[in-house]
Order: sequence, then C-alpha cells, then structure tokens
Amino acid sequence: MIKTPAWIQIERRPSPSGWTVFAISVVAILLALIVAGLFFQFYGVSALRAYGDIIKGAFGSRLGLTETVRRMIPLLVIGVGLTVAFRALFWNIGAEGQLLMGAVVASGIALFSGLPDPLLIPAMFLGAFAAGALWGIGPAILKAKLGINDVITTLMLNYVAIYVVHWLILGPWKGPTMRGFPYTDKFPTAAFLPMLGGTRIHLPTLAIGLAGALVLYFVVKKTRVGFEIRVVGENPDAAKYAGISQTKITVLAMVISGGLAGVAGVGEVAGVHHMLLNPSSIALSYGYTAIIVAWLARRNPLAVILTSFLFGVIMRGGDVIKISLGLPFQLVNVFNGLILFFLIGSEVLIRYRIRFGTVKETS
Amino acid sequence: MSWESWLISTISRTLAYGTPLLLATLGEIYAERSGVLNLGVEGMMIVGALTGFAVAGKTGNPWLGVLAAGVVSGVFSLIHAFASVTLRANQVVSGLALTMLGLGLSGVIGRAYEGRPLMNTLDEISIPLLEKIPVLGPAIFQDQSPLVYVGIIMAILLWFVLFKTRIGISIRAVGEDPATADSLGINVSRVRYLCVMVGGVLAGIAGAYLSVAYRPSWTDGMTAGMGWIVIALTIFAFWNPISGMFGAYFFAALFVLSFRLQAWLSPELLKAMPYLLAIVVLIVVSRGTLQKRMGAPSALSLPYTRGED
Amino acid sequence: MNKRFALFAALALVFVLAGAAFAAYEPGTKMTVGFVYVGPVGDYGYSYAHNEGRLAVEALPWADTVYVESVPEGQEGPVIDDLIATHGCDVVITTSFGFMDGTLDAALRHTDVIFGHASGFKRAPNMFTFMADFYQVYYLNGIIAGALTKTNKVGYVGAFPIPEVKRHLNAYAMGVRAANPDAEVLVRWIYSWFDPGAAAEATEALIADGCDAFAFTEDSPTVVQKAAENGMISFGHYGSQMYTFAPDYVVSGQAVDWGSILVDFLQKVYDGEYTAQNIANIDYWWLMSQGAVYPEAAPGETINPLYVDALKAYMISDPVYGEISAYDLFNLRSSQFSAPGVTFDPFQGPISDRNGNIVVPAGMWLSSDSLITMEWAFENVVGPWPGEPE
Repeated sequence: MIKTPAWIQIERRPSPSGWTVFAISVVAILLALIVAGLFFQFYGVSALRAYGDIIKGAFGSRLGLTETVRRMIPLLVIGVGLTVAFRALFWNIGAEGQLLMGAVVASGIALFSGLPDPLLIPAMFLGAFAAGALWGIGPAILKAKLGINDVITTLMLNYVAIYVVHWLILGPWKGPTMRGFPYTDKFPTAAFLPMLGGTRIHLPTLAIGLAGALVLYFVVKKTRVGFEIRVVGENPDAAKYAGISQTKITVLAMVISGGLAGVAGVGEVAGVHHMLLNPSSIALSYGYTAIIVAWLARRNPLAVILTSFLFGVIMRGGDVIKISLGLPFQLVNVFNGLILFFLIGSEVLIRYRIRFGTVKETS
Repeated sequence: MSWESWLISTISRTLAYGTPLLLATLGEIYAERSGVLNLGVEGMMIVGALTGFAVAGKTGNPWLGVLAAGVVSGVFSLIHAFASVTLRANQVVSGLALTMLGLGLSGVIGRAYEGRPLMNTLDEISIPLLEKIPVLGPAIFQDQSPLVYVGIIMAILLWFVLFKTRIGISIRAVGEDPATADSLGINVSRVRYLCVMVGGVLAGIAGAYLSVAYRPSWTDGMTAGMGWIVIALTIFAFWNPISGMFGAYFFAALFVLSFRLQAWLSPELLKAMPYLLAIVVLIVVSRGTLQKRMGAPSALSLPYTRGED
Repeated sequence: MNKRFALFAALALVFVLAGAAFAAYEPGTKMTVGFVYVGPVGDYGYSYAHNEGRLAVEALPWADTVYVESVPEGQEGPVIDDLIATHGCDVVITTSFGFMDGTLDAALRHTDVIFGHASGFKRAPNMFTFMADFYQVYYLNGIIAGALTKTNKVGYVGAFPIPEVKRHLNAYAMGVRAANPDAEVLVRWIYSWFDPGAAAEATEALIADGCDAFAFTEDSPTVVQKAAENGMISFGHYGSQMYTFAPDYVVSGQAVDWGSILVDFLQKVYDGEYTAQNIANIDYWWLMSQGAVYPEAAPGETINPLYVDALKAYMISDPVYGEISAYDLFNLRSSQFSAPGVTFDPFQGPISDRNGNIVVPAGMWLSSDSLITMEWAFENVVGPWPGEPE
C-alpha cells in the first residue's frame, strides 16, 4: 500500500442540469478573458480598451454584427455536421479537406457546367454536398471495414485536397482573365450567392446551417437512425448485439458530416470569393475550428448555433483588435488557446465535483 | 553529377529533413502509448524552435539552446497533461488548444527575434572511419547534424525501453488497460504525466533542431505543419519507435524527392504522395492478422478514473 | 425640448457625424493612410518590404499611417471598411494581387476615399495601381551569376510558376547568357511564398544537380543560408536584410523602395493634383530609372566587395562592346537601366523561347502588357515550367 498525496480529488457529479453547464461555461470564459487581459496589459494595451473595442467591433455596428455572422456561417454548417460524426464516435478531422472538395465541385459547376442560371446555385450545393460526402465516406469505410484509424485518414485527405486545389488553379482551371495568377476566372454572377440586404452574409448557406441544426437535432433525438448513431457511438458492442450495422451508421454519419462541410465550401467560393483560389485563403482553418465548436456544443446540433456564434465573435474580435489597436495577429491564437483551456477546465466542473487537500490511497 | 553522388545527397538530405519528424514522432509515440493523444505537437515544436533559437543566441551555445528547448516544451506540454490526465478533459480539444497557444505565444514573443542570424549554430559532424564506407559513408556518416544521430539512438533506446523493460510494460499497460495497471500498483497518472512530458521534451528538441541546426534562424510559423505530419507518422508507425524511424525517413524521402523529381512528375502529385501513401500502407497493413497485434493503445484518448468503466 | 425637435437634432447629429466620417480629403491637410498586407510585416519578404515603404510615408510631416498585417485574400473588404470607419483613412493601399477585386469593390463603396493597389490591373476614378518590378535587377544579378558559376549551372528556387516569377527568371537567365553562353539556369518550384523547409530541400536538389549560384523568390533567407552552408553564392531577395545571414556569400540582390512610389503619389494628393475623381489612369510601373528597384548586397553596397576582383577578371565578349569584364558590363547595364531614357532592355528582340518559338521579333521591345502575362521560358532555362506554351 503506497500513500500518495493528491492535491486534487475528483468525483463524478450526477447528471448536471443545462443551467449548471451554461453558468459554468460563462464563468470559464470570463476567467479566460481575465487571463488574456493580463496578456494585453503585458503587451502594453489596456485590457478594458481591448475588450471595449472587441464588443464594439463585434456587436456595436451593422458592419460588426454582420461580419460576426459571416464568420460564423462556415463554423455553423461544418459544426452541425461534425456533431453527428462525433456522436457516432468518428473523429472527423477532415472537414477542412471536405470543405475544399465542396469548393472544387461548386467551382467546376459554376464555371463549366453551362447549366441555366436558376439551376446553377442549387446544382452547386448538391454537387458540393456530394463531393464533401465522398471525401468523407472513404475514411468511414476504412474504419468500419478495416479498423483503420479515422484521425489519420481524415487528416491525410486534408492535404490531398489542398494539392488537388493547387493543381486545378495552376493547371487546367487557371483563369485566362487572371493574367497567369493562380486563380480560376470569376464565376458568372448567376453563381453568386444572394446576400442579406447589402451585407456580406450569404443567405443560403446560413439557412442550410440553421435548418441543419434543427433537423439533425430532431433526427438524433427522435428517430430510429439517430438512436442507432448514438448506440454505435456510446456502446459499439451493444450496437453489434442489437444488429445495428456499424458500417452503415458510420458511413451515414460521414455523408452528413462531410456533405455539410462541402456545403460550407460553396459558401466560401460562391458567397465570399466568387472564384476558386489558394486553398489557404478558402478554408482559413474553419474545418479545425469547427471541431472545437462541435465539441463545445457537447455534440448537440442546436447548441452549435450558440457556439459557432461565440467563435464568430472571437474571430471577428481578432480582426478588430488587429485593426484598431495594431496588435499582432498571433494574439488571436493566444486568446483562442486560453479560452479553450478554461472551457475544458470547466468541463471537469460540469462532470465532476472537486475536493482539495485529501490524501488518496493507491494500492 | 553522377547518379552515385545524387543518391548520396538524397539519402543525406532525407536524414536531415527526417530528423525533426523522427524526434517529435518518438515523443508522440510515448504519449499515445500511455493513452494520451496529444494534438499539440505543432505547438510544442514551435515553442521549442523559439526557445532553442533565443537561448542559443543569448548564450552562444547551441547545445544549451537544444537543452532549454527540451525543458521549456516539456513544461509547456504539462498544460495538456494537466487538462487530459488530472482534469480528464477531451484530449482532441486540449491538444488543438495547445497548438493554438504555442503558435500564438511564439509568434508574439518571437517578434523580437525575426530576421536575426545565429552566430553559433549546431555544426555538422562526420564520424571517423564509418564515413569512409563507399556510398553509405558519405550518405549517412558525413556532414550530418549530431542531432541526426541523437534521433537514431533515441529511436533504438526508446524502442528498447518500451518493449524490453519494466518501465515499458508499465507504460503499455497504462495505455491498454489503465484499470488493470492501477490494480497492479502502477500509478496511472504519474506514467501519463511523464509520457506526455517525454513527448513535449522531444518535440521541443525537434523544434530546436530546425532553428539552430537545419536552418539557423527564427521565423514565425517555421514548423510549417510538421507537427501534423508527426501525428500521422505516429499512427503510420503503429506506435513503434523503430517503425517511427523508418516512417519519418520515408516521409522525408518523399518530400526531398518531390523537388528532385520535379522535372518528370507533377509536383502536386508528388507533394500529395506521402499522404496518399500513408493511407495505402495502412490499408495494406491492416489486412489480416497484423491488425490485432499492431492496433492502437486501447485506452488512447480515454481519461481514467478509478472505479469507473 | 420637444420630442420632434429632439428627433430632428439626433438625426442632424448622425448626418454630421456621417458626413465627417466620409468627407473627402482636403488637399494640404493632414492625411491618414491605411495599409493592408497579406503577410506578417516581420516575414523579411514581401510584406516586410511594403512595410518599409509605409515607414517612408510615416516620415512625411503631413501623413499618419496605420496597417493591418496577415489579411487572407478575400477578407480585405471588411478590413478596408473597418480601417476607414475606425481610423478615418483618406487613402487605403492594398498590396496583394488577390486583393484586387476587394479593393475595387471598396473603391466603389467609398467614393471619397483614394485607393491604391499593388500588382493588379483594375482601376477606378478613385483607385490607382502601382508596381515596382525587379526584372532589370534580375538581369544584372544574372550577369554576376553567369560570371561566377564554376559548374555552368545556376539555380533558381521559384515560389509559384506565375508570369511575375517567370519574367524574373527569364531576365535572370538572359543575364546569365550574356555573361556565359554555356551556362544553364535550373529551376525548382516550391508552390508557396513562404516555406523554409521546401526552400531548403529545393536548394539542396539544385545543388545535387550541380548548381553553384542561387537566386530565388521566397520570403525567408533559407536559400541564402543553404547556399552558404555549401560554400555557394546567392542573391538576397527583397532588400539587404538577408545579407546578414551569409555576409561572405551574398554577392548582390534585389532591393525595392516602395516608398518612392507612395511618396510621389501621396505628394500629388497632398498638392491637390490627384483626387478621388481623377486617378483611373494612374498606373505606376516603376523600374530602376525611377529608383524604385536596385541591386544591393548590403545597405549602401551594390556588389559584395569580396567578389569584385573576380568579376573584374572575368572577361565577356559582348556583340556590341567587345571584350568587357563582367564587372564593367554589370555597371554599364546598370547605368543604362537607370538613365532617364532607357537605352537597353533585356526583353529586346530577337528572342526565342526554349521550344524555338520567336517570342520577341528582331527590333521589337516587349510591351509592359506582354511582360506581365509572360508564360514562355528562355532558351537556357532547364526544368519544369507549368503553363508553358507549346
């Protein structure tokens, strides 16, 4: 019998209420803001001034609010899909690549399909959904059939997608009107997504994101398929026993997750850039940030609306302090990292109670 | 230039580029073997790169830089250990957060070091006698950074520790079945903390290799995604240090060749090749009986609480 | 105060404030200039060079500057709106080709603000374009490389195979040819503006192929360092700050003074000559004769003194000037490029590409339009060349 002093002792909290979760999360974010504020002070900028600017910049004006929402859109659309994949215990790190493949197919349809104008945008969304889904199905089948790790396959395919885009914009799709620069030509205007009255919010993508959150919430909670997804995720052995096909469920989850990431790609190329361009300008790490968004929403599609908005504010806030205070852009990363650590720290308060200074016995 | 000297230079560059991948992969293998997935490799590497450069510049001794990088990244990795072991937080998210924090902090603090040359770099060495072997001598034992050999020795040493010693058994037990390990008297938390730290130290040294040896200078974002390749390599190597060594050199060879074969093959295809090949190799290897024996640590990314599960 | 009056007063206030925010620049008054950069200003490359230009503007007694770094392409629209709303910028300068459409859209939205865009070709009554191009400097560096190479193989690490880089590569290759008809220029692409690892291994690949002198397009001193490690010479990119990484091996390099263009333009705005109504045809295409670009090894040092003797000793038989040393040819061409009436251009016919097509007929000079859309490769260029005409 060895006695080790444990300065923190943790025990499970019986099912926390929604309000507890919300309250603890808010406190965690506030604490993160205080620590990040110290960092601002250290950098010679008043924390109050910085936060004032962020709040003003994110909510204080029409431009600010609409920019926050525009930043939120890809996170919402991808995040909603990821909740389903994560529920099926599939670690889809590949939304970045699925987004790019959606962008590729949408661009191909916009530029070369010759479809009549009214069909163009619907075809782009459908095509991009299919492309993202296809990019996601591969890893799903490999995991279900051969037990190949999903983190590695989805991550690897991100890089493959990046080079597909590079190849297209430097080779066959390089736009004749771009004077040799690696961009496709601009889309015909019929392929521009409609904007919310004079803002940069591309409406169809936002609508798909919101509708997706509602529908998937319902599917996961109330339908047979949703039940099967949850069983596969929570207890694969039980799923096998109950005759649920793990392959079918994993593939289905990845069709949804990959497909929605592909849809986010349409939003970026048809709503923001109106062309296919350098992959790092299209994706902006939305695929990775959305992982955090989905996790923070505790894999609840409806809660993604809230968490993606929060990250919209953070991203927008980063832009704002860069512009108004001239702070280095890397501070945004510090800021994000800190908020995340406090939120995961708070997770423990949600799931467990903590006691200090007890002595734990180890046999 | 003859094909022989071309081959020598290709092998030599493969070792040079593969070394940071190898060092960081060895660390990640230990972390994951103990059951902790750490996606913060990129962040730990860049923190090591900055620390190594700053300390080497300040003291004039590149070895001190390497050492300091190991220590600082080791301490930095404790954030992830605390979150994932003590707080039992989600390891994917905690690792991503570590990467963000590392990239952000190094970027902000590193501004003062941009564009400064390093006077005392980690110089290349040649191994007497061995360098005389035809082809292999100049390819492997001539004009290499000492850290190249540190990497190879570490791979063998860490393989030995993991598979041939009691410590290794404890680490693998904790990663496979923490409850049983606990009941056998192994301190699960302590093992996991130490393994995450090993990962941090080695990632830090890998970063310092980049900034004091491979390309002596500090540039924001200079790890340029290597940390993500390490994550892939760890799985690619089936959590085995020796396979990790071959995997790191294999990835490095493809990278190096992508510039040497550019005249004949599409560069985009060559650059995508390592990632596609990794998947192909996984498919080939996963068929049949190998799968069970070389699978992931069963408790990977699962926090452990006594009395649960 | 009755309610109606209060409402009226509030509305009036809003209009006054809005008017103040969007008032056109009044010549002769203090102006605020905002800069939007695609990369970090500490990258020692493209955005660094542009930031040096901003500092020249900041030094003007009547100009204040603000800047935003690391703005991804496609995100410039809101950033510009924010700059104008937050700092009341009178002039906004954007510096990446990918900012072209976003800047044009912003110019149409903010008709009272003056916009400038580097490296693009779209303009508006309140938007001008500017470019300082390196091709003459690359030609000069090519003369040095051709003279100093021992292996008759000169290396070039290129970022992307796009016309701008191809133009520089061809000019460099022509300089090499002028000094050394037997030498070839080997090229490798790294498909990134910034990737030290790729730049390092591309350099090593070129060394394995026998190259011993290096020029490049990448925003880090990696190629300079790798060349020096192997005892080989190189040419710094974007000013002399790369010299410090290998003082014994950087022979010369390409330096740019964006400030010269910006100060010239802004002075005319200050004087009231350029306004938000009349700059639709203003396109600065500045080269050596305007002092916008120049060869430079270290500050105030055109050629590294360590190499001057070797260049003086290397004799070239030039079709026009007969026997002439590389050093003298460098200086001669340099003065021809710098003179107000340009008497020589690398791209004067007859020029054939490496597939045997005549790309510039005898007696012709290449127009600036052909320069900025260049896809062909010069005769002595060896290596992959995506987008090459048959």
